[in-house]
Amino acid sequence: MIGDRRIRVSVNGTAYEVGVEPRTTLVDFLRADLGLTGTHVGCEHGVCGACTVLVDGLAVRSCLMLAVQADGSEITTVEGLEGPEGELHPIQEAFLEEHGLQCGFCTPGFLMATYEMLTDDPKPDEDEIMEVLGGQICRCTGYQGIRRAVDCAIDKLGGTRPADVFGAGGPEGPDAPDAPDADPVGADGAGEGSAR
Amino acid sequence: MTVEIPKRIDQLPNPEPRYIGKRVTRREDAALLTGRVEFIDDVALPRMLHAAILRSPFAHARIRSIDTSEAEAMPGVEAVVTGADALRWQRVSGSSPDGWGGRCPAVEKVTFVGEPVAAVAATSRYLAEDALERIEVDYEPLEPVVDPFAAMEEGSPLVMEANGTNVMMHRVFTWGEVDEAFDTAAHVFTERFRWNRVGANPMETFGTVCEWDPVTLEMTVRGAIQSASFMGLGRAATFGLPTNLVNVKANAHGGSFGGKGGGRGIDIAAMLSRKAGGRPVKWIEDRVEYLTSGGSQAWDRHYEAALAVDADGRMTGFRVTLVDDLGANGEGYGSISAAKPLTAFTGPYTIPAAGYDLALVATNKLPSGPYRGMGPPPHFMVLEQLVDIAARALGVDPAELRRRNFIPPEAFPYTIPSGNEYDSGSYEEVLDAALALAGYDDLLRWRDAARADGRLVGVGVATAVEPGVFDWNAYATVGLPQTGVPEGATVSFDIRGCATVRVGFAMEGQGQYTLVSQVVADYFALDIDSVRVIQLDTLAAPPSFGPGGSRLGVAITGAVLGACERLAEKMRTVVAGLMQTTPETIELRGGRFGIPGVPEAQMSLAQVAGTMLARSDLLPPGMDPLPEATYVWTAPDRTPADEMGRAKSYLTAAQAVHVVAVEIDPDTGQVEIVKYALADDCGTRLNPVVVEGQTDGGIAQGIGAALYEQYVYDDEGQPLTASFMDYLIPTIAEVPRSDKAAVVTPSPFTALGAKGCGEGAIHTTPAAVMCAINDALAPLGVRARETPATPERLWRLISGAGVGASGSTGEEREQS
Amino acid sequence: MKPAPLDHAAPTTVGEAVALLNDPEREAVALAGGQSLMPMLNLRLARPDLLVDLTRVEGLDHIRESAGWIEMGAMATKRAVERSSLVRERQPMWHEATLQIGHPQIRNRGTVGGSMAQADPAAEYPAAAVALGAEVRAVGPSGERTIPATEFFLGYLTTALAPGEILTEVRVPVIPPGRGWAFREVCRRHGDFAMAGTAVTVDLDASGRCTATRIALFGVGPVPARAVEAEKIVDGEAPGEEIFERAGRAAAGAIDEPLADVHASADYRRHLAAVLTGRALAQAATRAGRPEGS
Repeated sequence: MIGDRRIRVSVNGTAYEVGVEPRTTLVDFLRADLGLTGTHVGCEHGVCGACTVLVDGLAVRSCLMLAVQADGSEITTVEGLEGPEGELHPIQEAFLEEHGLQCGFCTPGFLMATYEMLTDDPKPDEDEIMEVLGGQICRCTGYQGIRRAVDCAIDKLGGTRPADVFGAGGPEGPDAPDAPDADPVGADGAGEGSAR
Repeated sequence: MTVEIPKRIDQLPNPEPRYIGKRVTRREDAALLTGRVEFIDDVALPRMLHAAILRSPFAHARIRSIDTSEAEAMPGVEAVVTGADALRWQRVSGSSPDGWGGRCPAVEKVTFVGEPVAAVAATSRYLAEDALERIEVDYEPLEPVVDPFAAMEEGSPLVMEANGTNVMMHRVFTWGEVDEAFDTAAHVFTERFRWNRVGANPMETFGTVCEWDPVTLEMTVRGAIQSASFMGLGRAATFGLPTNLVNVKANAHGGSFGGKGGGRGIDIAAMLSRKAGGRPVKWIEDRVEYLTSGGSQAWDRHYEAALAVDADGRMTGFRVTLVDDLGANGEGYGSISAAKPLTAFTGPYTIPAAGYDLALVATNKLPSGPYRGMGPPPHFMVLEQLVDIAARALGVDPAELRRRNFIPPEAFPYTIPSGNEYDSGSYEEVLDAALALAGYDDLLRWRDAARADGRLVGVGVATAVEPGVFDWNAYATVGLPQTGVPEGATVSFDIRGCATVRVGFAMEGQGQYTLVSQVVADYFALDIDSVRVIQLDTLAAPPSFGPGGSRLGVAITGAVLGACERLAEKMRTVVAGLMQTTPETIELRGGRFGIPGVPEAQMSLAQVAGTMLARSDLLPPGMDPLPEATYVWTAPDRTPADEMGRAKSYLTAAQAVHVVAVEIDPDTGQVEIVKYALADDCGTRLNPVVVEGQTDGGIAQGIGAALYEQYVYDDEGQPLTASFMDYLIPTIAEVPRSDKAAVVTPSPFTALGAKGCGEGAIHTTPAAVMCAINDALAPLGVRARETPATPERLWRLISGAGVGASGSTGEEREQS
Repeated sequence: MKPAPLDHAAPTTVGEAVALLNDPEREAVALAGGQSLMPMLNLRLARPDLLVDLTRVEGLDHIRESAGWIEMGAMATKRAVERSSLVRERQPMWHEATLQIGHPQIRNRGTVGGSMAQADPAAEYPAAAVALGAEVRAVGPSGERTIPATEFFLGYLTTALAPGEILTEVRVPVIPPGRGWAFREVCRRHGDFAMAGTAVTVDLDASGRCTATRIALFGVGPVPARAVEAEKIVDGEAPGEEIFERAGRAAAGAIDEPLADVHASADYRRHLAAVLTGRALAQAATRAGRPEGS
């Protein structure tokens, strides 16, 4: 048996330093080792999106990542969305008000994907919504309530970044497209930089 | 004491109901949205082990030997089970047609790919899967039979040799003068159809945590279980245990749609637990297991059907021959799916005579199980295609032909030829609402203009009846016991007048806990936040079947209202005693008990409940002091099936009309849904937002069945759709927005007039989409007869490169 | 569905990574974004002793232009490419191909190099690379080499990468002004692997005739390959529906062993390839000659 690796991660603002077997997937680590069971396992091959979490602000499949790969990362799960007093995040409120969920199993993934989308663009158009949420499967709602919920969340946020709803300390979203280190290339097209 | 359950909202003892019939935000959601709800995979018990299952790679093989010694010796492995343990502890499954049940893990022989052969419990799932790789199984491969027609031939390999045949059941039903109807009809339209296997695929697979104590033999089952009591009874029967040794604690679960299966997973986890000294054993089905070996696959059907129509366009007879491929052993109640169409065989039409030739056939594929709708969705696809074929041949508008044949409103309650009774309906009104919402005339003009430009566009109108409130009497035809299906609730007040309702089913997504709260709050004029719903284990809960067969909304409303009536009666007795009058003079109105017209003779709920709980000395002598009452609801006035399967079984009959417009890319065969509108009538809508959500979800599943989803097997019985890359569930990009209108014709038979409404859309959507596709194809003179209508199948039809439906060469035959 | 036991190493330099991959004691596999490899690991269809995780290797995630080439580090994510205004403006076909890959949640981790090295026959980047005349840079124990994309894809899920060699960069020529391009595919659902797809570029000469046409099909044969015969049919001809349809049929007909699976038979894939190629040629020819090249 291969020994555990120590990793450091920040999950929903809490720092952890934990030993983990290299083969452990990130979703199993979050659920079994940290007890954060709000993130759900739907297919373990990256299609359904139930396990979607934010890693350094980007929505990713936590079944398609090893926990050891998250060493040094900031992770946000559904448990990190609510406010300090247990207030629902506006995205969560929107799903509640618009019947954006039935069984609720896929919902954390939809919330996290929506969170990244609205961080990236506070007013996504229909195509953008289809593009992002097309990567998440729901078997209950037929997506109609989810469509309404996303529209409602856009209105509720009114341009506020999802991370800023409860003041500072919310999970950082991905950098905006024109931020210097996201698209490192200058106008002359000759720059060099990091992909992240 | 007879209990009169209010049949209308205005019969509630509350002049101003605030919740029933209103768009009430679900009370379940805050916990779901924040990751707080405990699903089965979230359960962690002390000393819990994790199971993994070794499955057959062969569709048909004899097991020569199994060597588990290496696996058992691995560190972290605590128990291993095989068919030998099943043989020791298990009886054969009772969910198959007689004589077809088996054991699990397999004994001696495997009959489908994915059949459990052995299982391991270890300290982690990772280790358990490691251990599976150390189990040696020596198989002797046998020739599989995968096609049901081949399976029916002499000399076919036999799935179960002892039965001497692969035909599990063959029955011919005749209702009315069907031969005469066809002999004398002006027109007869005949067609073959192929409905390929689809399935539920809830986003959460099945899972369980079992404890089976080897000393006390007490079994505790947790799990993503749709019907807790039913699962408990099944496990007790399987293991030959007294029923009160099995306690089921169903977790909230991530959807089911009938496709959760799970009994066999529980059996395995339970046996592992028993071998591990009673330690809890968790087994979570993974998605590949779900897709290839789970409870999901349903409706693998080959149809030949005929519609007799008279000169005026009245349908006079409907005949269906169905070969239903149930897979290896019919386990998991797949046989029900073929019987349920009896509850709505002739749909919303006044067809007076019908016939059903039904063969249930075993093949070396996964046993077919339940899926939302439980059988009628393919049946209505068949009926509605025939209606369109007739309309086209007769030159009548398809909507008009349907209208001409609708059961009229004054004919209800209406008994259909196959015996079920429809409670009420306003079919023409629903049709008009759907056509108006869709802008039907404009759609037809759009279609004709686009067609003139050479585009393949079509408009489909389809209608179906949704039998609601599941009843076992419908299934005597396939050998199941005829009993009622109970649902119970206990309503109680605490000393402050807050209500608690105890039920026996878990949250599954349909908002039933909200519904229960709505009903109690409106009955007693409480704020909805004063009502809490608690789920009890099966050994503590009132009788409950839970969700299934579009029943729970109706059933639990009846149960809760019954309990409210009983509780109110009890409290009236108390109040009468305190006011020194008779209970009949005490009225409950707007949440207060008292003598009407006497303002000083009024008591609040809290006062009455507080008196009962804290001052039993003040109560009438001998009176039960608890402010609590239980009621167990069953569908009234159901009848057992006669020799032709005719029964008054399902209590309600909802109805819908869907209108769909599509455009097909003639070069690629891809279908785009450009318009979707519908109207439905499911009686009183207790929470319209939930009703609409059920419709939306059913549409998406129906679109899946019509265009995307199919379980595929190769000739050797190997499943080729083992991932979500292959089994295609529609995403938001494949499901169009839909416009919905409601018609409300209350049921005369149910609490508040509500009807079952969880399955209506999936009954209608596949038919409507196929109608639209065939309307688009009509100018080419070809017809899509097979679901799903994939791009390739449509391309083949369009290009004339081949027939669309494999195994279907049927042709329209018109007699005139 | 849990990975078999494995070890994980996260080197920070290409040299370390190459050394780890060439460990004679252990079967080592390079892990890029993991969006194809991780499902294989979860299913135990891949079971290496060691994963050499390239995520932390420095200098592998650039996106830049140099001497007429767009250079993308192997570990540049598809999302970074998608958001790159450089790629969008200077290599719009690559940008378009990126948008067809899965969904943002997959592109957030999936990488340029990972997609090329996986060599899925239905993947977008390999076909775009072949059509555009891209090159692949690889580093192995014996140093660095450059492989033309047309020589990189050898067979089903098989590339010219030697064992122990790491793909470090993909270089794609910028689309010159006036070159028309099109990238089209047909999937069962948006975001799925293509049942068939085509990547096409067309130039128009001074007389308005097609020249330097390049066509690469994907999702049809076991590897993305140029349809040379079809290109010849187009070159020298004026743009036109008939010629493009003929070229499409030729391109599709040239595929030896079309793939077949539950979504599409070989015949249907071939048919789609022909249709798409015809449509793509028409779209590319329409774009050709426009100064913005889009």
